[in-house]
Amino acid sequence: MTTPVLSLRDVRLTLGNNAGRTEILKGIDLNVTTGETVGLTGPSGSGKSSLLMLMGGLDQATGGAVHALGQDLGAMNEDRLARFRRDHMGVVFQSFHLIPTMTAVENVATPLELAGVSDAFDRATQELEAVGLSHRLHHYPSQMSGGEQQRVALARAAAPRPEILLADEPTGNLDGATGAAIMDLLFGLRDRHGSTLILVTHASELAERCDRVVHIQDGRLA
Amino acid sequence: MIQNVAMAWRLTRRELRGGIKGFRIFLACLILGVAAIAAVGSVREALRAGLSSQGAVLLGGDASISFTYRFADEAELAMITDAAEDVSVVADFRSMIVLGEERALTQVKAVDDAYPLYGTAKLDPPMPMATALDGMNGQPGIVMDDLLIDRLGLQVGDSLMLGEIPFVLMAELVSEPDNATGGFGLGPRSILRRSALEGSSLLSEGTLFDSHYRLRLPEGGIGPAYGALMPDLEPNGARWQDARDGAPGMRRLIDRLGAFLVLVGLAGLAVGGVGISAAIRSYLDEKTGTIAILRALGAERRVIFLTYFLQIGILTLLGLTLGVILGALIPALLVPVIAQSLPVSAELTVYPRPLAEAALYGVLAALLFTLWPLARTEEVKAADLFRDAALGSNRLPRPLFIGLCVAILALLVWVAARFSGMAPLAMWSFIGLGGAFATLVLTGIAVKYAARWLGHRQILRRVPTLRMAFTAVGGPGGEAGAVVLSLGLGLAVLAAVGQIDNNLRGAISRDLPDVAPSFFVVDIQPDQIDAVKARLDGDPFVSRIDTAPMLRGVITQINDRPAREVAGGHWVIRGDRGLTYSAQPTRTTVVEGEWWPEDYQGPPQISFAAEEAREMGIGIGDQLTINILGRDITGEITSLREVDFSQAGMGFILTMNPSALAGAPHSYIATIYSKQEGEAAILRDLGNAHPNITLISVRDAITQITGLMGQVSAAITYGALATLVTGFVVLMGAAAAGERARTYEAAILKTLGATRAGILVNFAIRSAVLGAAAGLVAVVAGGIAGWAVTHYIMEESFAFDLPNALAIVSGGVLATVLAGLFFAYRPLSAKPARVLRARE
Repeated sequence: MTTPVLSLRDVRLTLGNNAGRTEILKGIDLNVTTGETVGLTGPSGSGKSSLLMLMGGLDQATGGAVHALGQDLGAMNEDRLARFRRDHMGVVFQSFHLIPTMTAVENVATPLELAGVSDAFDRATQELEAVGLSHRLHHYPSQMSGGEQQRVALARAAAPRPEILLADEPTGNLDGATGAAIMDLLFGLRDRHGSTLILVTHASELAERCDRVVHIQDGRLA
Repeated sequence: MIQNVAMAWRLTRRELRGGIKGFRIFLACLILGVAAIAAVGSVREALRAGLSSQGAVLLGGDASISFTYRFADEAELAMITDAAEDVSVVADFRSMIVLGEERALTQVKAVDDAYPLYGTAKLDPPMPMATALDGMNGQPGIVMDDLLIDRLGLQVGDSLMLGEIPFVLMAELVSEPDNATGGFGLGPRSILRRSALEGSSLLSEGTLFDSHYRLRLPEGGIGPAYGALMPDLEPNGARWQDARDGAPGMRRLIDRLGAFLVLVGLAGLAVGGVGISAAIRSYLDEKTGTIAILRALGAERRVIFLTYFLQIGILTLLGLTLGVILGALIPALLVPVIAQSLPVSAELTVYPRPLAEAALYGVLAALLFTLWPLARTEEVKAADLFRDAALGSNRLPRPLFIGLCVAILALLVWVAARFSGMAPLAMWSFIGLGGAFATLVLTGIAVKYAARWLGHRQILRRVPTLRMAFTAVGGPGGEAGAVVLSLGLGLAVLAAVGQIDNNLRGAISRDLPDVAPSFFVVDIQPDQIDAVKARLDGDPFVSRIDTAPMLRGVITQINDRPAREVAGGHWVIRGDRGLTYSAQPTRTTVVEGEWWPEDYQGPPQISFAAEEAREMGIGIGDQLTINILGRDITGEITSLREVDFSQAGMGFILTMNPSALAGAPHSYIATIYSKQEGEAAILRDLGNAHPNITLISVRDAITQITGLMGQVSAAITYGALATLVTGFVVLMGAAAAGERARTYEAAILKTLGATRAGILVNFAIRSAVLGAAAGLVAVVAGGIAGWAVTHYIMEESFAFDLPNALAIVSGGVLATVLAGLFFAYRPLSAKPARVLRARE
């Protein structure tokens, strides 16, 4: 039997403030195996992005357990989670989330630098060349189009060769043609590095490119 | 138009319903700036009022007529007595208190039974002045300042000698009412009865003393008394002062210090202006959407402008009101603290004029710093609703607004020049501020580019934390400009004050002792001068002795016209000056004209100080009339000399040929240059051999002068600190404004694997880089200002004060790091998912 890269057991997430508490995830059980590509689909507000965040340790579950590569993310503090992501995960967001004060190559080099990679900038340059941005190395995010920014974000996520690649609606802010190109790049990178890919998407045609599609409805797996 | 205003007012009211949260920095900057200026002005008014109401007490009478080296003769005294209801005569001179082997210089006030005409002297143990001066056990009494009592280790009841006369110490002099000099004399004060000095040589003809005839006059009697007395007495060298301006020196000090502090306060307001401008810019950036909607709904740009102008106007009014109230309250806290350093008690009340002055400065500064960002509201179009637009464009506003800003700035400069009464200083202050502003803006840009350049270098790529910090400083939307400007200006003012203070004190306490004599000796009688020289000639510690005959005189006429008409208010003709005679020019260089022959016996000739002659507009061939001890001597200027006062040696503005003055009663003065080891023996031997002469230790005088300067400099430093506090508030505002961006950045960095400690170090490094840059510019700007003041105003050589510079740079680093770390909590503690998803 293949070891799960990600294992979620009865995962719950409740967010609350003075106005009241909202149950976002209501007991999710899910295993993702090495090298698998999983598409998370569901209507807006169903909890799919929240689930992805819990998988990446970007937020912590209020119930249940999230294990990644055999480690309990719930038992880690903020800094251990950061180091875990640095060593094992890459994340791509819908809004790119590039650091506005850094150029493209600096953005891509940052996770490599944090991991202590000595040739961080050479590798960052190669990654940007791989996504077709060799001419944009020293441009700031504000000087690039949305599609170009997302390609930088892809290169940044893939540069440390992560075992797990998490993508939260990576084409959500892009037009159809650009989005399709980004998805080709994403799957290409995944194939190149052999990462496990979890992809949150609204688009059924994108989900269909995954090995498995998991549908979420009202905080539960449908 | 009225319709537009009414519409704008309705919109303003709706916008302000949201509260004033976004205006905290705006209000803090305005309140601090206005309060500082209002407080300085109020303290100045309170002290002025104190001076004015206590004029007669401080002066010792409704009017005072003074003579130098002599008392009024019988005819003069008769005139004075006739003109006044009551007269008190006081003689003021320096002498030495002797107690066994111990000697100490004292400033003596020899009084009569009528003293004091106004006010009361406070003694410890408490007793009437007359009882104290009566003395006991057949010895006359003396009261002394506690400094003197402590220095000599005296107890009440102890006997001591003043010159050759024994006195008994009856009490400590806690305060004297007629202390218009603020207690500043070359020695601590002693008071005794003049009749006790009869028969001694302490007040004999030719010794250095001033006599003051204090007059009690009927109400409204000052003018008539002046008219009745001075036309006859002034030509005899008498000087007049009256209670309408009882302590002119103190008044000038208060006026000048007050004006200077207001200018420092304006610098604070300028620093606050940076915060005001940034706050308005940030507020209007957030309102871009609202403005675009209003434009889409048909609002004209003037309605939009008026809406935000009214909002800011209301908040300015709030800030001014709070600032003025605070400024009116601060003196109640401040005056008790500074009162100890002043001889005049302040009259605490609310003074409308300085409050109005501060409010006017506040209005002009608020207008100046808000109009520019406000003008940008006109650029917002309805189409901006569909774009991610902000007001941060770099386009200039319409010429109308640029013209208005220039006009407001000109008005501000004019108002400051007029109110300060020091127009050139006000102008230079604004030029300096403008220069510092421009330098800091350029530095902010330079730091940004330098950081960007450094961040891209290979060497920094080996240290990721440094690389990230530098790229953050150099990247788009960085805080470099705001931080360097807000902190730099405050630090520059502090650095300038520090450099000037250090050079001013240094010129006196550091450099002067190396070149100045050890002692000034005064009141050496002609029959004592040879003995004094004989004692010093054989002394191995003494390297040089200068002696000169010493008289004092008042220049009353120049070419038969009153001196004031020719030379205005030049200091040389204000009061009496020391003068001498000499057959040859000694230790001086004649730069124009010819010195008289050694055996010259003709009409009086004068050699005058060249620089002062040039300032007074006189030269070779001019006739000067000098009143010496009531006798007029007229002489012709036949040569001009270089006189260097900077080394505290002997320097006379006016020297005459010997035959012109040798007949007048006079004493000698001497300057003794000795090693410190020999000073005690000189003091003892000369004091024992010649009890009447007075030795003034230059070292002690320097200590006293630097102490007084320390108080002035402390007042200015406090003013500069107020500027720095405003700068820190602006800095905190900039840090708070950057908090959102840092929270976002921290969330991304955490996603990529950065730890909280790593992020914190990253934030601290960039704060430190900006703080150091602000500090360095401040040190350079402060250094230039310090050099300019030292070189051009003080005419001293400038020495850069490195410890002060290091303290400024460290202070800059510390302030920015503290402000940065204060706003680091939220970025570090926020969960990345929440922050990033909020931006989706």
